[in-house]
Amino acid sequence: MAGAKLPTMAWRNLWRHRRRTVVTLSSIAFGTFLAVIMTAMGDGSYRAMIDKAATTGSGHVTIQNPEYLEKPALKRTIAVSPERLAAILADPDVAGAVARVVGQTMVATARDSRGALFFAIDPAAERADTTLAILGNVTAGAMFDAADSKGIVLGKGLADALGVSLGGKVVYTLTDKNGEIVSGLARLSGIVTTGVTSLDRAIVLLPIGAVRKVLGLAPDEATLVAVFVRDQRKAAAVARRLDASLGPDVDALTWEETRPDLSGFIGMKVSSTVVLEVIIALLIAAGIFNTLFVSVMERLREFGILLAIGFSPARLFSLVMWESLWLALVGVAASAALAAAPLYKLVVSGVDLSSYYLGKKVELAGVAVEATLRAYVYPEKALFIALAVIIATLLAGLYPAWRAGKVVPVESIKLV
Amino acid sequence: MVAANEIVRVEKLEKVYRQGSVEVRALRGASMTVAAGEFLALSGPSGSGKTTLLNMIGALDAPTSGAVFLEGKDLARLSRTALSRLRRDRIGFVFQAYNLVPVLTAYENTEIVMRLQGVAPDERRRRAMELLHDVGLEGMERRRPDELSGGQQQRVAIARAIAARPAVVLADEPTANLDSDTAARLLDLMERLNRERTVTFIFSTHDAAVMERARRNVRLVDGRVEHDERREPPAGAAASGAAPAPPPAAAPA
Repeated sequence: MAGAKLPTMAWRNLWRHRRRTVVTLSSIAFGTFLAVIMTAMGDGSYRAMIDKAATTGSGHVTIQNPEYLEKPALKRTIAVSPERLAAILADPDVAGAVARVVGQTMVATARDSRGALFFAIDPAAERADTTLAILGNVTAGAMFDAADSKGIVLGKGLADALGVSLGGKVVYTLTDKNGEIVSGLARLSGIVTTGVTSLDRAIVLLPIGAVRKVLGLAPDEATLVAVFVRDQRKAAAVARRLDASLGPDVDALTWEETRPDLSGFIGMKVSSTVVLEVIIALLIAAGIFNTLFVSVMERLREFGILLAIGFSPARLFSLVMWESLWLALVGVAASAALAAAPLYKLVVSGVDLSSYYLGKKVELAGVAVEATLRAYVYPEKALFIALAVIIATLLAGLYPAWRAGKVVPVESIKLV
Repeated sequence: MVAANEIVRVEKLEKVYRQGSVEVRALRGASMTVAAGEFLALSGPSGSGKTTLLNMIGALDAPTSGAVFLEGKDLARLSRTALSRLRRDRIGFVFQAYNLVPVLTAYENTEIVMRLQGVAPDERRRRAMELLHDVGLEGMERRRPDELSGGQQQRVAIARAIAARPAVVLADEPTANLDSDTAARLLDLMERLNRERTVTFIFSTHDAAVMERARRNVRLVDGRVEHDERREPPAGAAASGAAPAPPPAAAPA
């Protein structure tokens, strides 16, 4: 027969008022559940937005001329030798890297002309799923098939505005390194429809080889290298490493630096989530404090007896702290059980918001938002929330535990 | 100076409580000495200071003036931690309302103080089982207090009190909540433990029948020792190893 250790006593004490304990556990479990769901939904949507921004823009990390960020111009190029590209790809967190020439252009047809944003790319190096999402949005015709092709791909809105159809002539005009106006002629090979009106009205895809010739750039010259990382949270670390290793003629910038609008938007949303989570944590802590304090005040006589038979104040303090730790552990376990099925559903299937969007594409901070909102659980964040709940519970237990240790036996026993 | 077999000595104890604006003098210069192996009843009317005196001897409360010595140690000189260690190692308590730990079984209640003392698990188990057998609770080790009768709970409380091998067991009205038969059986038990294990008992009581069983009766009135009477051990006690009866050591106020 084994005796009762302090954790065993604490566990049994917890269940002396079963209903009260269950109510407290419910508040811990539900609060933790809310925090986990909120965080997972936020992380899922931010992750999707960041990846979307990377694959519709210039990657999670952009290697470019140090002056390009302040004064973007086609003359601010960098050398992208095969060795340099290989060095970038050698980073263990890098999933892909492609050289591009990106800038402003004027596209014109016989009917009209428009200003646009062009991406000059090597179609052989790009992938719709990892580097350039627009490749998957070709709704008419096809992507030009080679870097030196004469083809051009336009956004649907832009093609409509220019009144050009597949096979039609399009002249694109650029400013070269010397400030001279240069033009290239292409035939419309494909039309992309992203659903984001601003993008469909402004996007132009060009073959990088043809553009280099028009601009007079060397075969290894580009305005940027778009770098794609396996986990977007590692973008800053990758940027730091590449910045240090690639030399002073280039800067490695994170998406947060190249897309401050998106970074600001996500930062604001994350801040508001953190504020909500702190409020939830405070509510949980208040509930636990109330339960433990009432429980301690009800047991002052018992604590007096325990002191009389030889418990030290420190041991009584530990007993109540064990009770709060048990509350936290059971509460966190209950929240895990509560959150498992909904989280699985939210991660795998997500929530279809298309009916709220009325069939339109929604754009936030310049990024198209998917109609299906999916959660994403970073294990370390879930662990952090669990630890935060445990710490909040232990903090809430400190005063009741201290109060238990301060009991004066003769006053609480009330023998007189 | 400490007598060879002296366990407790109280000298000119005064205790003044404040209840609102009223001053209550619970003890007014009580003095007495208790030797090892005594079976002593503190009697007296309500408010005479019995419980207050037990609290002082048990290091649960401090006197307003005067001194309490336990095994020669002046309790006033001990820190809170030292007092808590003293209660754990040298004093056993039995309360009127039993006061077992409600979430612990009879066995766990019996061995908890030994656990606090750091007694080895095997030794704890041996002593706890032996004591529970001794107090007639064999087979009830796994029962929690709410599954035991009042008398059984008080037996567990006695087992708990002596499990740690204290110098003295202080029992405050241990039979007050029990019917007369159960009270008599409990006194038999305490007497037997006193006789066979040489456990020193000091218990307070109102009950004349209980006083009759004590071998020394100290009567308190208005916080003073009014009378200190020693009796001969019950017939047959000497033959079964009763503790020697020390001379009366009270110093009546």
